[in-house]
Amino acid sequence: MAKKLIITNNIRRLRFFANEMTQLELAEKAGASRQTIIALEAGKYTPSLELAFRIANVFGVPIGEVFECKSEVDNGNDKS
Amino acid sequence: MSYNSKKNISSIAAGILIIAAYAVYAFGERAPAPDDLKSWATAMLVFIGIGVAAVIVIQIIFHIVLAVGIAAKEQDCNGKEVERIISSSMVEDEREKLITLKSAHVGYICAGIGFIAALVALACGWSAVAALHILFGTSAVGSVAEGISRRVLF
Repeated sequence: MAKKLIITNNIRRLRFFANEMTQLELAEKAGASRQTIIALEAGKYTPSLELAFRIANVFGVPIGEVFECKSEVDNGNDKS
Repeated sequence: MSYNSKKNISSIAAGILIIAAYAVYAFGERAPAPDDLKSWATAMLVFIGIGVAAVIVIQIIFHIVLAVGIAAKEQDCNGKEVERIISSSMVEDEREKLITLKSAHVGYICAGIGFIAALVALACGWSAVAALHILFGTSAVGSVAEGISRRVLF
């Protein structure tokens, strides 16, 4: 059975280290709305690959540094 | 409350207003005879036209009120800054498109249920006007449900 993927992100931390970049600034630079950035930081939305790359480009880091992927089986016991 | 939430509320209000206006007309004294299919169809077409016009007018008023509200709130900022805040809140990105698709699905489901219900009504021997009302009613409710689902998903 395919494992369920849990995608987390470090956008809040990266914004902090980018001179406390605001959500609005990030949204404008990444071509998204502020609501989308809020949803991303809250873990309520997983972006498309294109938006993920655009966010990574804004911070000038590899995409893997912004988004992390953990796998988990459906019952939630097996995390890796 | 975000721009999209406010916009949705104004759309839902417009939809509910049209349904209420139609209900007043349909149950009022000036309503056509129950078996007058042509008059009912004309009335529904007129109300659809009024609905489209009302949504456009309400959206225009909403945008004016929004711009004035932001300008009043950001009195320290110059015109360009206010313009920036307004334009950034109006950005339509992938998440909004996804939500629009999901909520449109809710509207289609309502319209589909209405179509089946209208066919069932006709099969049970109800009049064509009753079937027309079911179709019109479920479409109107569907558009309001679409707005509510957008509001929830945002």
